Amino acid sequence: MMVGVLDYGMGNLSSVTNALEYLGVENCIIHNTGDFNIISHLIIPGVGSFAKAMENLNDRGFVDAITSFNSKGLPILGICLGMQLLAEKGTEPYECAGLGLIKGSVEIFPENSVRVPHVGWNGIKLVNDHSILEDVKQTADFYFVHSYQFHVDSNSSIISTTDYGFEFPSIVMNDRQNVVGIQFHPEKSQKQGLQILTNFSKTNA
Amino acid sequence: MVKGRQFGNYRDTGDPVSAARIYNAQYVDELAFIDIDATNESRATNKEIILKVSKECFMPLTIGGGINSVDAIRELLLVGADKVIINTAAYTDENLIRESSEMFGKQCIIIGIDVKLEENQYVLYKNSGRIRCDISLKDHLKKMESIGAGEFFINNISQDGMMDGYDIDLINLVNNNTRLPVIACGGAGNFKHLADAYTQTVVSGLAMASIFHFGDNNPIRARAYLKNNKVPIKEI
Amino acid sequence: MSELKKCGNCLLPETYETLVIDEGGKGCNMCRTSEFKKTNIDWDKRKLMLDNVIEKYRGKYDYDCIIPFSGGKDSTFTLYYLMKEYKIKPLVVRFNHGFMRSHHEQNTTTVLKKLGADFIDFTPNWKIVKKLMWEAFSRKTDFCWHCHTGIYSYPLQVALRYNVPLILWGEPLAEMSAYYTYEDNVIEWEDEEKFNMIRNLGISADDMWGMINKPEDPVEKRDLYPYTYPKLSDLKKMDYYSVCLGSFIPWDYKANTKIIMEELGWSGDELEGVPDSINKEFAKIECWMQGTRDYIKYLKRGYSRVTQLTNFEIRNDRMARAEAQEWIDNFEGNRPESLDVFLEYMGITEEEFNNTIKKFIVPPFEPDFDNIKKGKKAHDMDEWYRENNRK
Repeated sequence: MMVGVLDYGMGNLSSVTNALEYLGVENCIIHNTGDFNIISHLIIPGVGSFAKAMENLNDRGFVDAITSFNSKGLPILGICLGMQLLAEKGTEPYECAGLGLIKGSVEIFPENSVRVPHVGWNGIKLVNDHSILEDVKQTADFYFVHSYQFHVDSNSSIISTTDYGFEFPSIVMNDRQNVVGIQFHPEKSQKQGLQILTNFSKTNA
Repeated sequence: MVKGRQFGNYRDTGDPVSAARIYNAQYVDELAFIDIDATNESRATNKEIILKVSKECFMPLTIGGGINSVDAIRELLLVGADKVIINTAAYTDENLIRESSEMFGKQCIIIGIDVKLEENQYVLYKNSGRIRCDISLKDHLKKMESIGAGEFFINNISQDGMMDGYDIDLINLVNNNTRLPVIACGGAGNFKHLADAYTQTVVSGLAMASIFHFGDNNPIRARAYLKNNKVPIKEI
Repeated sequence: MSELKKCGNCLLPETYETLVIDEGGKGCNMCRTSEFKKTNIDWDKRKLMLDNVIEKYRGKYDYDCIIPFSGGKDSTFTLYYLMKEYKIKPLVVRFNHGFMRSHHEQNTTTVLKKLGADFIDFTPNWKIVKKLMWEAFSRKTDFCWHCHTGIYSYPLQVALRYNVPLILWGEPLAEMSAYYTYEDNVIEWEDEEKFNMIRNLGISADDMWGMINKPEDPVEKRDLYPYTYPKLSDLKKMDYYSVCLGSFIPWDYKANTKIIMEELGWSGDELEGVPDSINKEFAKIECWMQGTRDYIKYLKRGYSRVTQLTNFEIRNDRMARAEAQEWIDNFEGNRPESLDVFLEYMGITEEEFNNTIKKFIVPPFEPDFDNIKKGKKAHDMDEWYRENNRK
């Protein structure tokens, strides 16, 4: 079992790798497409803009590698920007294509309704079950920091929603359920967040 | 690691890595480390310590102190910081804020503002409270918000370490002049101070230190107190 | 004095650490966890788990387990239960805070001789302890840092030294506060997380060394070893399992105390400031500084030992609230004579003591320093070690 954490030049990988180390989960950083051959699980972290992220992913040949990884039904976890990239398209700062692993698009928060970015701890409300939440206290709060939200095409893609003046999907999945996207940062959400990472490392093992 | 009073009289409060481990076990919402000598000693924040701290810290980590370049921010983010606080540099280098906000996302960029009440006016200070700034609080808030700041971290120098309560007027003033989330710091001595600040203002977050170093308090007890006083607080 | 909000059911006040009173005030998180313990935990299943744990470690090391021991009712019961139920060979380890009362020492001797077990008793350097007491008192008003950290680190250090991975503690924290709750339905560990969360008051041994080491009065780092939590990696390498017996069997103070009195001849003692009839389970009778500890709690939080003891009775349906309130009104908050002993050790006046406490009062409580009654002197006070450090 080897969890690969994707390095595409966006955001700090070390938070995620620190958490995996602490949990005793075997992990490595993916620097190039060749590294995909040695991993059984893929984590796509990320902080920053959607368009820049997709540009970096394309430059490094990661888009095809991820698509191919997914076609084998292997587990993929997108965190924060990494979750948003799983969508079909994004709008930050301009409209562009995403990885297309989960049907939907990424849009900015509704105008003038709330303080942006959404930064702080907030709760989740379960919509559909998934093993990623096994043994996780669902009454706990998790750490969010984002200005955009994932609009799904179908409610069946939603594992949980979160209330920030309006409801938005906080955890999403694809139909096959091997791809999960988490808007908050499990590696920054203490015990319950770490349990999510443990669960991910155990899927499909 | 030190904690002072009104930006002076610093007392040793232990090792930062130890503190990170302890606060992580106590479910604090966020940890902020500010290297208060960095600007005045013209050097960058100690990365080695941040690296060690980030291995113990499974909640957001904010680093401040002497940050004056995009590279400095990049390096801190790489060693585990989630957000940075820029204080002194923000007064003279607007490009820094613009560029880093665009490059790393504005949620990464917190503008730290140290404030002192002088003759009924709030005056801004930089260089760890040593150099007075001409710009008014309102103007500074407006400018920073317009060039890409993500949050404000407001520290009242006169209240700092005094454990007499937060400056409610200051917090309200800041909240009325910005749409960005605001974290207030300076003055927490007991849990009632926290409840007062949360109920009398719309502050997004409260920062505190002395209350834990020099009080028989811990964040879990703080949480219970706030819940008893109907302040919505993170669930663990 | 300002009015403290209290739980309508068990009377614990809002200043009780981690207490959250329910909306409506008729219950609280302590009431709920008590209820959960009674009705929602499968204690049979838990006992089976303990059976398996014991067998997993039996006979493979020089000792089957370490039992951290103070000689009070909880650790005595833990030792008795495990030896009787499982016939294990334990290494009994006591971190001695230096304030053991003579009746208590008699209990310890009797119990150990009756049960028959190897016993390690460690008393740290008093000169260092005095410095630690002062530093902890001035930063936290809790002068027992050396005791909290020693009790929870030292047995683990011994476990590493003797290579004995199973460490069995007694009472779970879930009985006393909401840092841990029965409602989580998990086995409660005594581990580094708990140590950092509450045991060390937020001050690690390293930090404390930095605080007490002064150029004019230096302290070596190794003087702080007894209070230092062992490296987590070392413990993990040993595959340590450091858990509370109270997670496997339902903790019952009344029944536990009765058993050790009948089976081992363990006997109770007076607790300073508390009438005997409400301390029939003889809580906290080991340490002669307990009266002062309880007094500090009262000054800061407006409640103390009398409230806590009657609270247990209420939560276990053994006392009516009206009766509890009467005990509290008559006995809570008296100034103990043992305070003089503490003031002498620290070399301070009562005024200095009060001034320190005043900085730490937990709102909304406000103590009335002018109207505090004197409590009854403990019967063995003349036996206690005295050291007057006042200049």
